[in-house]
Amino acid sequence: MYYNGFGPESTLRKLCPNELGQQWRRERELAVKKTLIAVGFEGSANKIGVAFVALDGTILSNPRHTYITPPCHGFLPRETAHHHLRHLLPLLRSALSDAGITPADVDCLCYTKGPGMGAPLQVSAVAVRALSQLWGKPIVAVNHCVAHIEMGRVVTGAEDPVVLFVSGGNTQVIAYSEGRYRIYGETIDIAVGNCLDRFARVLTLPNDPSPGYNIEQLVKKGEKFIDLPYVVKGMDVSFSGILSYIEATAAEKLKINECTPADLCYSLQMIDCAQETVFAMLVEITERAMAHCDKKDVLIVGGIGCNERLQEMMRVMCSERGGKLFATDDRYCIDNGAMIAYTGLLAFAHGMTTPLEESTFTQRFRNDLEEQYQQQTLALKLQSVINLGHSCCGFNFRHDRVQSWSRAEHLTSGTGSPPHSQHSAARAATKKEKDEQSDFKIEKKGTGKPFRSSRKGIVLDSGF
Amino acid sequence: MDPMASDAGFDVDDRSPASSGWEFACDFEVDYRSEEHANIVYATLAVDKELQPDKVKRQMSISDGKLKVHFEAVEARFLRASFSAFVDLMILTTQIIEEYN
Repeated sequence: MYYNGFGPESTLRKLCPNELGQQWRRERELAVKKTLIAVGFEGSANKIGVAFVALDGTILSNPRHTYITPPCHGFLPRETAHHHLRHLLPLLRSALSDAGITPADVDCLCYTKGPGMGAPLQVSAVAVRALSQLWGKPIVAVNHCVAHIEMGRVVTGAEDPVVLFVSGGNTQVIAYSEGRYRIYGETIDIAVGNCLDRFARVLTLPNDPSPGYNIEQLVKKGEKFIDLPYVVKGMDVSFSGILSYIEATAAEKLKINECTPADLCYSLQMIDCAQETVFAMLVEITERAMAHCDKKDVLIVGGIGCNERLQEMMRVMCSERGGKLFATDDRYCIDNGAMIAYTGLLAFAHGMTTPLEESTFTQRFRNDLEEQYQQQTLALKLQSVINLGHSCCGFNFRHDRVQSWSRAEHLTSGTGSPPHSQHSAARAATKKEKDEQSDFKIEKKGTGKPFRSSRKGIVLDSGF
Repeated sequence: MDPMASDAGFDVDDRSPASSGWEFACDFEVDYRSEEHANIVYATLAVDKELQPDKVKRQMSISDGKLKVHFEAVEARFLRASFSAFVDLMILTTQIIEEYN
């Protein structure tokens, strides 16, 4: 008997499930003997979350606390870090008691390594280091973006979707194609959440529970359509133009003394249309990615993912293409500890840990770079074993980014000594300082070079 | 367990530049009265290097269960920023040790 490459019951096709099955049984045995439990610390932006999660996906506890600033204010790194410092231990206490376990039951400690704001990231990193020594448990560093995707997949059970990752700091369309996850499109300037937050500031909306939620509630009754800048560049989107337009126009209309009800009404409608426009842009690039890689389902993850209008628009698009939309609610969409714990636990179950000395954090941490590649390969492989889904294996790194990464590595890692000149170290330092000081900026362009020059790679990557 | 005992000795020195540029220095020590605890705090905080090594330097050492920290900076504002961030995290570490020792 030989494999001719065509038969439905070919040797190759038989082999894969069996191998997966064996590995899966081994993992199950391990899990049955003692269910692996991880604690996850998430603190990359204005939310601090601590969660206990078991390997089978059971969330034992998942409390979080959000740093809410006054209207018209973003969250600054230092203040946000202080918020996290205040709430970390109380959250850990309540997470432990909710889960009904003791530190001895925990198998590994997971934390967000990046991307995010430096000072807030450092809080969870430091906490995990101290606890690791006190409890004698290993550490697992987790990429925030990967954690969002993993969490979305395990919660919704989406098998092979195009993933739209939209939050306050990230906007990416990711899909599994040709044996790898690839980034099909992303924002070329600010994230969609950042854009929405700043619309909210124009209207002086409160930040409680979140600016995006308040916009969503306010604009549910829009009637008139106002034409606004709509910027889709190939597979990518840009939001800074529409933001500038809104800020300039609304500032004119909303001058404190001269603001008439009609002006306010117009501004509201404008924000409504702005939300509609940015979501339409997102739906367009998602649809393009779907058409390109021939997929029918979409999974939305990240904080904006719980916006019902976005879900509705995406659902219409999916149904027109004969697919399904997978989305989660605010418990899993918005940053939480469980996603970190779950993703870290997958890596840990596959034998991956982070030594204490290497448990650093980094503001810029692309999820499609080489360093990340291995961890994801393992984590995703393992997950596919557990779910008996397809055996996927990690993120692609773009052709254009490989070189720039090796060049930019020391700039972005923030730890190791730069192999190049003192000049580049100084530049990195000033860059970091600028990042820390700038309000609400969680961009994660991991490259040291300007984006324009790297755009070629998108074309290459997506085969256009 | 013996809680964080004392914050003995706190000295900001801006009298004379020891070497060119590093004019602002600060020394402090925390007595944990336990070599083990001091080691945990040391290992926890030593992982993160100073963000601007050309502007702020930090040295740490342990002796007799005391954690000794020495800062040097080229400007007062860098010293203040580094120092306060460091102390915030040291307090968190100490609280964690107190709670989960």
